[in-house]
Amino acid sequence: MFDEALRKPRGKGGRAPDPMRVGGWVPMREYPGDEEVDFAIVGTGAGGGTLACKLAEAGFSVVAFDAGAWWRPLEEFASDETHQGKLYWTDERLCDGANPLKLGANNSGRAIGGSTVHFAMVSLRMRPERLNSRSKLGYGADWPLDWREMWNYYTEVERALAIAGPVNYPWGPPRPRYPYRAHEINAAGLVLARSCEAMGIDWSETPLATVSAPRGRSHPCVYRGFCVTGCSTNAKQSVLITWIPRAVKAGAEIRDLAMVGRIETNAGRATGVHYYREGQWRFQRARNVVVAGYAIETPRLLLNSANAQFPDGLANRSGLVGKYLMAQTNQAAWGVMEDEIRWYKGPPSLAITEHWNYTDTGKDFFGGYAYMSQGPLPQAWASTLSGNRGLWGEALMREMEKYNHQAGLKIVGEVLPQEANRVTLADEKDQYGLPIARVTYSLCDNDQALVKHALDFMSKSLDAIGATDIWTEDDDTCHLAGTARMGDDPTTSVVNADCRSWDIPNLWICDGSVFPTVGAVNPSLTIQAIACRTGDRIKELASQGTL
Amino acid sequence: MATDREILNGALGALAIGAAGALLCGRTKPTRRKRQPPPRSAMERARREAERPPQAPTVKAARRLNRAAGLIALSTLLDSAVEHYRGSFHNKAMYTPLVVSALTLYVSYHGTGDRRPAVHRFRDFTYLVSAATGFVGTAFHIFNIRKRPGGFSWQNLFYGSPLGAPASIALAGLLGFYSERLRDNELKRSPKVFGLRAGRALAALAGIGMVATSAEAALLHFRGAYHDPFMYAPVVVPPIAAALLGDTALSHPRPPRRLTRWWLRLTALVGFAGAGFHIFGVSRNMGGWRNWRQNVLNGPPIPAPPSFTGLALAGLAALGLLDDHPDS
Repeated sequence: MFDEALRKPRGKGGRAPDPMRVGGWVPMREYPGDEEVDFAIVGTGAGGGTLACKLAEAGFSVVAFDAGAWWRPLEEFASDETHQGKLYWTDERLCDGANPLKLGANNSGRAIGGSTVHFAMVSLRMRPERLNSRSKLGYGADWPLDWREMWNYYTEVERALAIAGPVNYPWGPPRPRYPYRAHEINAAGLVLARSCEAMGIDWSETPLATVSAPRGRSHPCVYRGFCVTGCSTNAKQSVLITWIPRAVKAGAEIRDLAMVGRIETNAGRATGVHYYREGQWRFQRARNVVVAGYAIETPRLLLNSANAQFPDGLANRSGLVGKYLMAQTNQAAWGVMEDEIRWYKGPPSLAITEHWNYTDTGKDFFGGYAYMSQGPLPQAWASTLSGNRGLWGEALMREMEKYNHQAGLKIVGEVLPQEANRVTLADEKDQYGLPIARVTYSLCDNDQALVKHALDFMSKSLDAIGATDIWTEDDDTCHLAGTARMGDDPTTSVVNADCRSWDIPNLWICDGSVFPTVGAVNPSLTIQAIACRTGDRIKELASQGTL
Repeated sequence: MATDREILNGALGALAIGAAGALLCGRTKPTRRKRQPPPRSAMERARREAERPPQAPTVKAARRLNRAAGLIALSTLLDSAVEHYRGSFHNKAMYTPLVVSALTLYVSYHGTGDRRPAVHRFRDFTYLVSAATGFVGTAFHIFNIRKRPGGFSWQNLFYGSPLGAPASIALAGLLGFYSERLRDNELKRSPKVFGLRAGRALAALAGIGMVATSAEAALLHFRGAYHDPFMYAPVVVPPIAAALLGDTALSHPRPPRRLTRWWLRLTALVGFAGAGFHIFGVSRNMGGWRNWRQNVLNGPPIPAPPSFTGLALAGLAALGLLDDHPDS
């Protein structure tokens, strides 16, 4: 019963599941494959789902595809960490390099709503200077976007998701009030608060995409703690329950269990997408194609769509598709508190400090990091202790007994964009017969220096409040970005500021792949802000007749 | 150095000793009229009514105040029972508001039926204890907030011990204490309390209470992001009532405006309607009323809004007194 969505598509027959009501359905418009729709969007996560909504609401005909299932959280999300692995993209990929990435739970999703179905809901604005890191801070690359314009789009997204955030945010330029008030900080968050106060730096409640008061059919968060394995109460404002229902209402068609394998082109323009659904390959004609598959599947699709006219893959005249892959560092300092903490209660990251994102002195590296309080569920914690601390058998059992007293601080760290970190195609093929992605990844000296700084600081701050048995987890990564960077110059970027590819005017890329630098905060809010901007720009271009 | 728990326990002990003292010194049992058989006819009912001693306007106002204090005490009793149960009574001092508000409710009930123009010592003392409990409780809630990381931050004002909650038991106590002072004025032409004109001072007291209670609603509804437009009602209607009561307090010798009476009635309605909205609010939490054991604790406090009704009744009592004693 819990896996039904994986076996049979639900978005068909003129209706779509209503995830807000048990067994509910809503009418959905359908387009035949031979009808040329305005936009075919590949992926329905933070980029694709948001853009599908914006474009449908602007009056365009839209069909959005996702390889994942259309879940009903109220009925199908179990309180079971292993079972909820069904939300992750766990198809085979080859990972190599000096620091091979661990792909799956922490960095990719496979569902209508994409990774936002299991994200930790941390919704942060990127520090304005990081959009001009080359010219203002001396590293990385400049974005072709103005931070003030982004600030407005952040506001739009925060309203759309009813972000619950602090009344006053200590860092960055002023921002409008968050639509909902911050949640009550749990004991794990208070550990961060006390440790920051001990070190003399600011801390704050984390702005989160889970409601702290009723909103429509969303109940306030009940602090169940299974956020990163899928919220079964719909308090989490994921793309699945926010942008997608809006898109469907505005006339978009969403096709679940529909894996796009190739983009067709003709005479230098995209003409539609080939996708696999219900046991066969099908084709959807489209005037424009948007790729929103995130930093691995996006370059994979572009490279897999190579043809005689574009032998190196689509939108790849610059040779940069797949390059400059970035995976934020995600190291942690852990300790044991005398008091009971029970960190599994509530969202995992209720408190945050962006001190080392906004402070440029006292560092021996470029970039910055934020760090947050943590709340891994028992299985995730056991896997951290065994995989990253090397405990096993009785030692692991003894350590697990401290679970309710455990606290920790974990970074979201910026890494430098390196050309050598890249996604290419392997010879091996997946279940659809498509070449799988090879992901090559290595940290540079600057990335290592940032991690060292963070681990030293966090260990000291835990020590300052009396934590014992402090140890550091030195090897973990999280959010991805890069591989189809945006810019002002066709020779050094894949898309322009509007996410439009330089090479194929009706091919767009709208997800985290377009980030020229990854920044020091979780990227979901920025991806959605970019999608909102792209939606507005497409509307504007259409009205000018330049689409 | 005494811990906060020890200090709280000490305070609880002091209050208990005080209450016990009152029981010993005062009349421990309110007098009970001998129950008569129900009247057999309308004529007999009219005769009995005529035989009752005439009631002084101050006593009438005092009884109205007893009713207002009782309603606020009931609101506090239920609210603190729910909230402190939620807090697992982890500190024994958390039983204090339950005991004190229950006593206040009882003496208010007693006062409502008491037509005698004299101070009742036990009732008077209980009201005083009630007011003191409110002030001590507020002090401890402030202390609790200050010791949390972040101190007086929005986070702690939203989720720490609620600042405004103990003030409601203080209000019940003050109104009750005031009612006893009013009963002292039986024969005077222009009743006064603490040297102030009784009717107008009461209007001012009710107005101040309304502003404070409204401020608490504003804070907690801000925490709820005013997600329902009706959440603005208790932060708009009572302050206007307070302003009108302020106008009444300062308007000697002009009589109160007619609008004031109607606005107080509206405020009383808002208090009751608020409980209804909060019942609905509970249903908007996960599981709704089927999951009442969790959501009654977790959702909006159902017993809290009627304290506005209590304050509106106190305001109306002031207006009633001014009707009978325009100079008061």
